[in-house]
Amino acid sequence: MDIRLPQLAEGADSGTVVSILVAEGAQIQKDQTVIELENQKAVAPIPSPAAGTVTKVHVKVGDSVTVGQLLVSFTEEGAGAPAAPAASPAAPQGQAAQAPAAAAPAAAPASGEYRYVSKSGLPPPASPTVRKMARDLGIDLTRVRGSSDGGRITTEDLRTYITALQSGGAFAAPAAVKKPALPDFKKWGSVARKPFSPLRRAIARAMVDSWTTIPHVTQFDDLDVTHLQELVAKHLPAYEKQGARLTLTVILLKVLAAVLKKYPVFNSSLDETANELVIKEYIHIGIAVDTEGGLIVPVLRDIDKKSLLQIAKDLKSLAEQTRGRTIPNEELQGGSFTISNQGGIGGGHFTPIIHAPEAAILGVGRAKQQPVYLKDGSAPAPRWMLPVSLSYDHRIIDGADAARFMVELAAVAKNFSENEVKL
Amino acid sequence: MPIEPIQTEIVVLGAGPGGYAAAFYAADRGKKVILVEQDERLGGVCLNAGCIPSKALLHATELIRESDESAKRGITFAKPEIKLDHLRAWKDSILQKLSAGVRGLADRRGVVVLHGRGHFEDSQTLRVETADGQQFIRYQTAILAVGSKPVIPPAFDLGNKRIMTSTEALELEEIPENLLVVGGGYIGMELSTVYATLGSKVVLMEAMGSILSGMDADLTRPVLQYAEKAFKEIRVGTRVLKMSTSGKQIKVISETAGQKKEELYDGVLVAVGRSPNCADLGLQHTKVQRDEKGFVKVNEKQQTADPFIYAIGDVVGGAMLAHKASKEARVAVEVIAGESSAFKDIVIPAVVFTDPEVAWCGLTENEASAKNITVEVARFSWAASGRALTLDRVDGMTKLIIEPETERVLGVGIVGHGAGELISEGVVAVEMGATARDIAESIHPHPTLSETLMEAAEAFYGKATHTISRRKGKNG
Repeated sequence: MDIRLPQLAEGADSGTVVSILVAEGAQIQKDQTVIELENQKAVAPIPSPAAGTVTKVHVKVGDSVTVGQLLVSFTEEGAGAPAAPAASPAAPQGQAAQAPAAAAPAAAPASGEYRYVSKSGLPPPASPTVRKMARDLGIDLTRVRGSSDGGRITTEDLRTYITALQSGGAFAAPAAVKKPALPDFKKWGSVARKPFSPLRRAIARAMVDSWTTIPHVTQFDDLDVTHLQELVAKHLPAYEKQGARLTLTVILLKVLAAVLKKYPVFNSSLDETANELVIKEYIHIGIAVDTEGGLIVPVLRDIDKKSLLQIAKDLKSLAEQTRGRTIPNEELQGGSFTISNQGGIGGGHFTPIIHAPEAAILGVGRAKQQPVYLKDGSAPAPRWMLPVSLSYDHRIIDGADAARFMVELAAVAKNFSENEVKL
Repeated sequence: MPIEPIQTEIVVLGAGPGGYAAAFYAADRGKKVILVEQDERLGGVCLNAGCIPSKALLHATELIRESDESAKRGITFAKPEIKLDHLRAWKDSILQKLSAGVRGLADRRGVVVLHGRGHFEDSQTLRVETADGQQFIRYQTAILAVGSKPVIPPAFDLGNKRIMTSTEALELEEIPENLLVVGGGYIGMELSTVYATLGSKVVLMEAMGSILSGMDADLTRPVLQYAEKAFKEIRVGTRVLKMSTSGKQIKVISETAGQKKEELYDGVLVAVGRSPNCADLGLQHTKVQRDEKGFVKVNEKQQTADPFIYAIGDVVGGAMLAHKASKEARVAVEVIAGESSAFKDIVIPAVVFTDPEVAWCGLTENEASAKNITVEVARFSWAASGRALTLDRVDGMTKLIIEPETERVLGVGIVGHGAGELISEGVVAVEMGATARDIAESIHPHPTLSETLMEAAEAFYGKATHTISRRKGKNG
């Protein structure tokens, strides 16, 4: 049997081998992790589908792999060596049998070295017309992804494949605008070069996409969080007894949920194809987490329905998983709004980039005590002021909406009920 | 006296269903073609001593078998009177018509037909012994399509006309009262059916452990049930050791499980296989190579080891079937014409015209298990088919061999009345890479036997209308 790179998640179609946990000849158990892969947002363990003995490891640490690529071969326990149709013409380059042919989803052929390998040792399903066309054109149908039932290759699939070949994009990386060559920095002093990791590249791609496709406007404000700070200070010990940490962020999430409910456009996505606004009826907030490798945004779900204690606990575990890079890919998806909190480090206002396809993002700095005139003519009082920066998609949100959002945020924070905090 | 050779682009040697098809395809592509045939009639074994005459006789005798069954349905017939001369003449008239038809098609295409025996002088020269003397053909490419002939082991060949091969049996000279058929393959079984219906007491001897060996057992079972009823005896695991003339009869010594037996028969039909017609062709003057069984070796482009000679049909071995030969003809001509054609991954259906018929295409269950391929088999018994009941022919079964992961139909097997006509849907399904759902979702007219294909597909999903499946619903 072979272990190939499965489709991990949407967009996660490649990665880098960061560790190989088995050696050739080693016994492995079902679901045992054989390889760890750094893919865009996390380290993904690749488990073995069955118990057996490893016969060959086809990759090495640092290799870039794509979906469907052969990682490890092993003989299944008890089953003996499967009668792999080794002589099968459908399994060239020494690829043994057993590709998840059925699992191969319909897709453009651009996803690299796709190979159809049938368990039955048969060529890929395609009508005689398609096979004749392929033969005439000298195209190997095992490289063409079939989109029809049972992975059948249609004339359209073949055409798509040929078009991709013609555009030269079939196996090349997505066409990038050619960048001017970098100067030789060494002319001016010594330099060190470090690899730009897949995670970093994913971040870069996402940022460029968002920044170049969404017209950003950023609204600055300072929230008076004195009341919230007092609540945190007062109830912190009770939460600690429950193994949770009550922080300003935890309460802020709850505050945000209320504001998003009132202004759902901030909790939406623009569907340009359908010309519709997709309003999400759930409040799933992505929390930008700083890790050694870079920025990762896990998602805390159903904030509006959870107690503060629950949010505190979830946030803690999510942050731990993220920093440990063990977070499952699903946990990185489905956010409807994002909060980027620099408060733990310091910082004031900044211009966060929207986590597309969301509509807005809230940047949070560090609260500072400042003198504030609470009433006309009164002496300034020391208040905890929190710098917040709201970046929003100006295609769907106007400045007035953003101002209303900020006002509401301040109001909810100011009037946050102690009952919600009390355990 | 040196004779000026005829120049041509393509010469086809043998005018059977492979050879004449090759000649026609080539002519249709504007090639100058000469078709060489030693027999007076075109069409080869298929048309003259195989598929066509045997099917004519099977059809003619089916009425007798049917009338026997009819009594229980309240319609009785008098015992049929068999006028053998009439039957033979009718059969021959069909062969005549078809052969003339092939001739007409050749003429209209400008294919030159040369009657005579061909002999290779070298890789590009064929000598033909015609009634008018020798002719030499200098060609660019030759397509060898000389076919095969029935094997008759030397120990059996007494020169006694009571010992027949399929060729003589189809001539229908007489109906032996006691007929021994040696060989329980499809030819032996089909001809046994004809002779048993015409009144012979048929004893069938087969060296292997079963009749129609190699075929899936569930497909051959109904045929065996018929044969057990219609034949006097079926003796499997039996070897014929010796035959000798004994007055007007043949003395046959056979051995079953170490027990020797001596019997007298009025006629013997030997149907133990076919061998390629490679003798006296002058192949030694070419680079053509043959395998250990004498078949001409070709690659998937139908090319022999000689760059000027292609070969198709029975002479290259494999399934010795007319439709395989015709397809190979097409491949050979396409390759000669410079196209990238190949006989590869092509589904060859097979039909045994017994009663009931057996037909299959693509992967069989036996093949799947021999190759260790995991398949799921969906069966539909004709006992649940309304059409089969109205035909009083519930002795049938339709099955699909399916790749579990993709639900792709890899093979189809059918036994039952008219299975030969039904299998073509299976061929299209397998060639198209259809899934079981494709078949299940296509409406099949009611009431017809074709519904059994749809119901077998539905059975795969546990949802056949007319059976209760053991399977629970699958994927909705």
